[in-house]
Amino acid sequence: MRRAPAWPLLALLVLAAVFVWLTRPQPLRPSDLPVHKPDPANGELVFHAGGCASCHGERLEGGLELETPYGTFRMPNISPEAATGIGGWSTLEFVNAVVRGVAPDGRHYYPAFPYPSYARMALRDAIDLKAYIDTLEPVVASNGRHDLAFPWNIRRGVGLWKRRYVSPDPVFGTDATDAVVERGRYLVEGVGHCGECHTPRDGFGGLDTSRWLGGGPSPEGEGRVPNITPGAAELGSWSKRDIVYYLQSGFTPDFDTVGGSMVEVQENLSRLPADELAAIAAYLKAISPVAARGD
Amino acid sequence: MTRVTKLSVVSLLLIAAWPALAGDSPQEQRHELMEHVGDAAKPIGEMLKQERAFDAGVAMASFQTWAEAAAAFGDLFPAGSETGYDTEAKATIWSDRAGFDAALAGFAEAVDAAIAAQPQDLESLNAAAGPVFKQCKGCHEDYRVEDE
Repeated sequence: MRRAPAWPLLALLVLAAVFVWLTRPQPLRPSDLPVHKPDPANGELVFHAGGCASCHGERLEGGLELETPYGTFRMPNISPEAATGIGGWSTLEFVNAVVRGVAPDGRHYYPAFPYPSYARMALRDAIDLKAYIDTLEPVVASNGRHDLAFPWNIRRGVGLWKRRYVSPDPVFGTDATDAVVERGRYLVEGVGHCGECHTPRDGFGGLDTSRWLGGGPSPEGEGRVPNITPGAAELGSWSKRDIVYYLQSGFTPDFDTVGGSMVEVQENLSRLPADELAAIAAYLKAISPVAARGD
Repeated sequence: MTRVTKLSVVSLLLIAAWPALAGDSPQEQRHELMEHVGDAAKPIGEMLKQERAFDAGVAMASFQTWAEAAAAFGDLFPAGSETGYDTEAKATIWSDRAGFDAALAGFAEAVDAAIAAQPQDLESLNAAAGPVFKQCKGCHEDYRVEDE
């Protein structure tokens, strides 16, 4: 009997090896962490700027479901509980989860967890964030797994997506000499992860940075998220002071109130000091206008 | 059809359509009232943002507008006005009428307290208007449909 040629099998093996190599998780090593005394007070600010509780729950117990075109994501328990939360994590494991999207067991997280934005976070802030979460009440709560459609359910494939869409580089190259705008950039592009909702996504679910903060369909399916660039039909005319007042009080310049998913975001951000909100406003006024498109 | 019946049909239709033509539907009335409430909030907000000088008279006039609106709102959500005219009212208003009435009462109470406080400077204005704004926000979250 003639043997089947070996090359198709070989080609398949090579392809598989390339896939595994391309999709490999790339966590930080212990030596990448800065020497830093954790500051839970700063961690609390990071916590509110990042809006952790909006998705993970008031007590960080998880359980909330996020319905997306890719399927249902279920939020994990990130309270400092050892068995069902993240109480047993080392600082390095926590930082890798937040800025690299890599779980302690080495697997990728799905970008429903906004690490593509957190990738721009300072490692010190991530360390402080863990220190703050460690001061909170542990909650015992196990939550279900994500429920995703093919091919999104192949977790390893997230590695390819990360290569294309995750980078610690700024989106909007601000003039780094303006410290206020630069601080705003850090808050908006990084820990505040505003772009995750306010920027439209392309066919693979990555942010279309050519329309950065230009608004688009809600990632949760219904309605639209507004354009918040200077080119926006309505919001474009808001002054910096209007933006700060809105984030503090929830009132627009017309004295309408904040609505939808933004309610919780605004309530989280209202806990930041006024100069942080002023930095956000300065950045939003500095970025390139995106032409209004039905907002 | 005789001329008389034709005429009466036309006039009946006119009567039926009159509220819509005249803008007298509860949906439109409450929308308009809400606009007044927002307009009254604007000068107070501008004072708090320090975009305009503090003026006790203007602030009190706004409080009065709110008080009148608070007294009138309850009657503008009758059965049958759940939909139409692009209303942003949530169905919860009718399914949880007691909760809605309580929210309205909370608004009226906060306004009465603001009037009683008679703010004479920015700080006391902030203290008086803050609880009212909180009522606006809370009620919108619970009883208004988002048109994002």
